[in-house]
Amino acid sequence: MVNALAPETTERTAGPRTAGPADGGRGRTRRLRRRQAAVAYLFLAPALLFFAAFLVLPLGFALLLSTSRWAGFDLGDIDPVGLDNFAGLFADGSTFLVPILTNTLLFALGTVVLALAGSVLVATCIDKLRFQGLWRTLYFLPIVTTVVAVGNVWKYMYEPGGLVNGVLNACGLGSVAFLQDPDTALPSVVVVQAWASAGTAILVLTAGLKSVPESYYEAAALDGAGPGTVFWRITLPLLRPSLLFVCITQFLTGLQSFALIIVMTKGGPGDATNVAALEMYRQAFSYGDWGTASAAAFVLFVVVLMVTLAQLWLFRRKGEDA
Amino acid sequence: MIRRRFPWLSYLVVVAGAVLTVVPFLDMVMTSFKGPGESGTLPYRFLPEAFDLSNYRAAVDQLDMPALFRNSVAATALITGSVLLTSSLAGYALAKLRFPGRDFVFRLVLSTMMFPPFLFFIPHFLILVHWPLAGGNDLAGRGGAGLTVSIVALTVPFLVNGFGIFLTRQFVISIPDEVLEAARIDGAGEFAVWWRIVVPQTKPVLVTLGLLTFVDAWNEYIWALLVSTADPDVMTLPVGIQLLQDHVDPARTMPVVMAGLVLSILPVLVLFLLLQKYYIRGVILSGLK
Repeated sequence: MVNALAPETTERTAGPRTAGPADGGRGRTRRLRRRQAAVAYLFLAPALLFFAAFLVLPLGFALLLSTSRWAGFDLGDIDPVGLDNFAGLFADGSTFLVPILTNTLLFALGTVVLALAGSVLVATCIDKLRFQGLWRTLYFLPIVTTVVAVGNVWKYMYEPGGLVNGVLNACGLGSVAFLQDPDTALPSVVVVQAWASAGTAILVLTAGLKSVPESYYEAAALDGAGPGTVFWRITLPLLRPSLLFVCITQFLTGLQSFALIIVMTKGGPGDATNVAALEMYRQAFSYGDWGTASAAAFVLFVVVLMVTLAQLWLFRRKGEDA
Repeated sequence: MIRRRFPWLSYLVVVAGAVLTVVPFLDMVMTSFKGPGESGTLPYRFLPEAFDLSNYRAAVDQLDMPALFRNSVAATALITGSVLLTSSLAGYALAKLRFPGRDFVFRLVLSTMMFPPFLFFIPHFLILVHWPLAGGNDLAGRGGAGLTVSIVALTVPFLVNGFGIFLTRQFVISIPDEVLEAARIDGAGEFAVWWRIVVPQTKPVLVTLGLLTFVDAWNEYIWALLVSTADPDVMTLPVGIQLLQDHVDPARTMPVVMAGLVLSILPVLVLFLLLQKYYIRGVILSGLK
């Protein structure tokens, strides 16, 4: 900023003696600035045009659809119905609140709890081991793998002749119909989602642990603190920012996920593993009910938005504390 | 301290976790070598009787793997290229150029990250189908398939990425103004400044962003599934493999599906192993994934 102003100020001090160059200099600066603005908008044009066509327009369209009834053929036939679609979602006998929205929250919550417990354990243990690169690579495999691979491998492992039941049988236990039994289907999918997302959590937590000063541990050792005390009194409190971050971002991801469920159970049996985003998808692309689908999308969006705002609020407050 | 007193305990936890992480992948690889009638039978057996390579042959033939591979490569390359180009251009403009409305545009870019992807599946699909004067549509968007019937349809929702712009901007800011100014005095236009100075200086972040985008685009499933219901010719690897899984007798085709999956995740795996450092930095930077 200072740089760009520099030529102008030097020429202004020289101004009184020779008026001509000062005027020309100011004009040139203005011309340069105008050219820079034109170039800037040229550089931004692809992104801004994209946002207009594929962000603003779609949002408006989705809002219109959520308050309309439409067969999906002629744009002239969109029939406004006000908030009927939203009312329909929460009407008696609708499955949207229970079990679909409850499943969504259970799915997200279960994933966070499982992934966090596992990753805290692994991250605190991995911190001072050798071959950290190797461990990190191994734990990272699920993250760079397509959801179709993750879903199919686990679906196959849950089969009667699959690995999980093979292990159960080897331990003398009976087989479990993990994905076919409405009682076990949702927890079974939650385990897979947690398994797939633990790698990210481990990574972020390991990075957080690196910033804990070694001297804290040495002081604790001098005071004769046991491993439990060190973990609860030093590691966990100092890890709090990373934990909070992982918690909320994974909860947000969990609320929106449905690709894994499409691959593994398609929402079944019944609605046992159906979640809001999947319901939206099915209402739209299986039943052609664009209105109900868009309304469901906006309800889920409100939930996601509230969590996002809570996250921003938490982190801003933390920033003020520091 | 837990680490000093019980190093074996730490090893135990880390190794157990690693085994839990890797075993499903090993099961996938082992199954891909099993012969017909060898998978899904009781009692469960981890190792194949003989390492049978025919499933890979079958995956390539039955799935029309070359076509799927081609579509995946084309879509991924388009998305990655576009995200890198638009992010770098916009990131430079927002970081180093002065123009009216800059703060507003920057806030707009930030706010685009607030809208989750699921919100756009329906409107994007309908807008592409009803795009006027494309794919046999009339001016009102009626009659044809619009923009959904080409490889481009696979890429459209992902071509620009608000996070990419933000990330690049943060790195461009750290380039000293003097360097850019010197280039301008030497007669370089803004485009030359961007290409000769900004792009080389931000190479590490571009590699990170490119890798994140590549992995996401290669693994994308939901949108590719939607678009290929409109046009089966643009099916990508994940969609094609899932289709085989859904429609054929699972007991017999499971090894073929697993072989297809192994082949489909190999490119990303190789890239990740080569460029781990950049990818991991990207995940820490973005957090969301």
